[in-house]
Amino acid sequence: MAVAARTRSTLPASNASVAAPALAPPWFARIPAGLWLAAAVLLTMPAYANTFILFQVFGWTFILGIISLSLMFLAGYGGMVSLIQMTVAGLAGYMVAILGPSGTDQISLGLSWWIYLPVALAVATLFGTLVGTLAVRTEGIYTIMITLAIASAFFYFTRQNYTIFNGYNGFTLVRPPELFGIDWRQPVPFYYLALGCAALCYGAVVYVSRAPFGLALQGIRDNARRMAALGYNVTAHRILAYSFASALAAIGGVLLVWQNGQIAPGTAGIPAVIDILVIAVVGGLRRPIGPFIGALIYVVLSSFAPDILTAFGLEPDRFKLIVGLGFLAAVFFSPDGVLGLWDRWQASRARRADPLTGRTR
Amino acid sequence: MTAFVQRRPIASLLIAVLVAFLAWLILAPWPPGVTAVMGPKRVFLAAILSGVTLGALYFLVASGFTLIFGLMRNVNLAHGSLYLLGGYLGFEVADRTGSWLLAFPIVFIATALIGIVLQYVVFRRMEGEELRQTLVTIGLSIVLADLMLAIWGGRSYQILTPDFLAGPMELPLVTAVRPNGDYVYLRYPRVRIWILIAAIVLGLAMWFVINRTRIGMLIRAGVDDREMLAASGLPVQAVFVAVFAFGAGLAGIAGIVGGTFQSLSPGEDTRFLLASLVVVIVGGMGSITGAALGALIVGLTEQIGLTYAPTYSVVFTFLLMAAVLAFRPQGLMGRRL
Amino acid sequence: MNVLESAPPSTRLASVGATNALELRGVTRMFGALAAIADVTLTVRPGERRAVLGSNGAGKTTLFNCITGDILPTSGTIRLFGEDVTRFPPYERIRRGLRRTYQISLLFPGLSVADSVYLACRGVSRWRYSLLRPRAGDPLLARADELIEAVHLTPARDRLVCELSYGQQRQLEIALALAGAPRLILFDEPAAGLSPAERRELVEILTNLPRHIGFVIIEHDMDVALRVAESVTMLHNGRVFKEGAPGEIEDDPEVQALYLGGAHG
Repeated sequence: MAVAARTRSTLPASNASVAAPALAPPWFARIPAGLWLAAAVLLTMPAYANTFILFQVFGWTFILGIISLSLMFLAGYGGMVSLIQMTVAGLAGYMVAILGPSGTDQISLGLSWWIYLPVALAVATLFGTLVGTLAVRTEGIYTIMITLAIASAFFYFTRQNYTIFNGYNGFTLVRPPELFGIDWRQPVPFYYLALGCAALCYGAVVYVSRAPFGLALQGIRDNARRMAALGYNVTAHRILAYSFASALAAIGGVLLVWQNGQIAPGTAGIPAVIDILVIAVVGGLRRPIGPFIGALIYVVLSSFAPDILTAFGLEPDRFKLIVGLGFLAAVFFSPDGVLGLWDRWQASRARRADPLTGRTR
Repeated sequence: MTAFVQRRPIASLLIAVLVAFLAWLILAPWPPGVTAVMGPKRVFLAAILSGVTLGALYFLVASGFTLIFGLMRNVNLAHGSLYLLGGYLGFEVADRTGSWLLAFPIVFIATALIGIVLQYVVFRRMEGEELRQTLVTIGLSIVLADLMLAIWGGRSYQILTPDFLAGPMELPLVTAVRPNGDYVYLRYPRVRIWILIAAIVLGLAMWFVINRTRIGMLIRAGVDDREMLAASGLPVQAVFVAVFAFGAGLAGIAGIVGGTFQSLSPGEDTRFLLASLVVVIVGGMGSITGAALGALIVGLTEQIGLTYAPTYSVVFTFLLMAAVLAFRPQGLMGRRL
Repeated sequence: MNVLESAPPSTRLASVGATNALELRGVTRMFGALAAIADVTLTVRPGERRAVLGSNGAGKTTLFNCITGDILPTSGTIRLFGEDVTRFPPYERIRRGLRRTYQISLLFPGLSVADSVYLACRGVSRWRYSLLRPRAGDPLLARADELIEAVHLTPARDRLVCELSYGQQRQLEIALALAGAPRLILFDEPAAGLSPAERRELVEILTNLPRHIGFVIIEHDMDVALRVAESVTMLHNGRVFKEGAPGEIEDDPEVQALYLGGAHG
């Protein structure tokens, strides 16, 4: 099952600017039309979608998409399938709840947002980096095992520790700060906040994938030994990849705790950790848009499956079964996820004869 | 072992001292000073024995996992689901027939059959694609977990200990000395001791088969180079399927054991899968001795942590795993990855 | 090949100095009870062109692996430009001017030719962790393009490595080895599998390398090896068997018996 993500364009020729300066299209003209359409729809969505769709469906999609994007970055570009992303997000969420204001006064410090926000992001990124230092010494299935084990240790620890993490109960009434006179927890502002963060993270991943750091990471994925022979410190590079991915997951975690308004050990429990993997794989690990596609499918299924099941006369609780079966089907028939299906459909369309002239392209 | 002592004399000395100290702690009556520091000896002994017997349970589950992965490079993350399913089925059998012992062969065969189906449907079709195998087994575990939830619900099940194994037994370990000079011996649940003995016997039998019989040689050779062995005309596939079935069956009967010791409920599948992972990380992949050692260490760490520092027992297990990863990533008895 | 002439002056000065480019003393590597190489002592001067010959199993690739740091020698020391690098990881040796090509192409199937060469140039530069994309006027981009031109791969510049032909992949290997400012290159059977025309091109590239770049070449094709080398080291059963000028080695009766015409050792 190939999970190698491939970036679409190659490096510009060094003399491109000399060859045709006026003819080379600027970067925003090279973005495909489909993306413009999607952007237009997303930006204007509050005009025609209701609160549930905005806040629950799309808000959650963007959040899960960001966290799965962090997994996709490590797995697709780095060749490292890590299950620690949800835990990093959970830790960021916990830090927001512990350092900032919440309903659990006996623990929360109630600091201002310009203190707790950077600290939460920094702590979560640091945690992800530390896990990276342990995980990069392993490969393949071992990485999955170790990150899964660490994620579960975090879950059990937060459940048993009452002094910092408030154990089983977690934290409630965690709200985003009121900035610029806007209550960011209202559906429309939160929607734009989540959309903005998702776009930022997506853009960052696309950009970095063609920067020396991202290119080198893909080189390490393809042939670590050769990269070492080109002068790269492979271990250090991989650890830094974990740092970058953890920063993304941390952003997702902050949004998550703001959207839920609460955080508990189960937020980063093993089912949630596995769900992130399911989302990333079903969407496709090859390109950064994959995780967001996977997240949308997952959220739509979770939101509407109980109703569909009841309509068919089945137990509404069995939606987890549907998700599991869907995931199984995906891995069996299209290991590259939805993106893989799309790519194969595009390829077969390219091979089909043009209906007008009868020639194949 | 002599090679180990020769290569690392200081470490061997430290280990010997540690073992001697532990032996004294366990066997000798404690002077008042030690009791003041560590609490009653009874509690300490109970913790040690619980750790060892929990380790026996972990060994039963993890040895199947390590056999299947270490020898055949098949990753089966539905292993925990097989454990829980075995436990539930064992409960049903024991409940309906009233016989605890009968549950073992029935569950073993049932889970072994599921293992065979897994081998054919999943692992043979995706030969060499480790990641894909992993993902499929994850998907299966999600599906199985939900099915089991639908059938057995969310409550806890406990398999009753059969009468001939119920009750405590007296062990030749001294917990205290009565004022009149008589020794007080430790009383410990009989069933746990017998499970421990059974696990040891099973472990020795597995080690013997793998290392001292021709079938074991076949397995070990096939691990090193499956194609070569297949080309030699020996029934490699049959042996591998048998190994997989055996590992799956082991997980199933471990479920019965766990259901008797502790209880069965949704979430136990994840817990025992993770325990297997940690045992295998600590002990080393593909080694029965490693699984035994790892299970013992993990079980002891968990129980001693639970007894003396309940809030942080998870941290101990995690620190143990992190330490092994940092200093010996292939595990204590593993070969270089 | 002006891209290589632009090596920093300090490198060129060092190459005329007294320090040897490569110095192996008593290097041994055991695999269990088998000595793949035993007590190998050899010295390569800066700018020298050395061929290492020997039958299969003589220990040539193991020797290269020890020099690059892929495996550590069981005993002995390795000095690179005067520095003891015996325990250094591979990337530290690369940053001191060592390069290597591989007998079986070790490349990046998912990247393009241009990306691969650019990465090679980046690897020894200071900004290898950069999160910023290179701008159009980036000097490393220019250098990468020059290297691609030097190995005649410009038409295939944007093709993925997995789509290249075998000969093109070998050319890419050489481009990767020439990236940055190499001072000593190890060529591991560069002529393997090449057509006669491609071999001639290879000999041309090798002989036209700037004088300050030394290289050690392992080759089975005696024509290629003896044409590009100034001196020859022969290995047999892991030990240095003979050393001398190409002509001497060719005429030596022992060498002829063992390697050129006689049975395998």
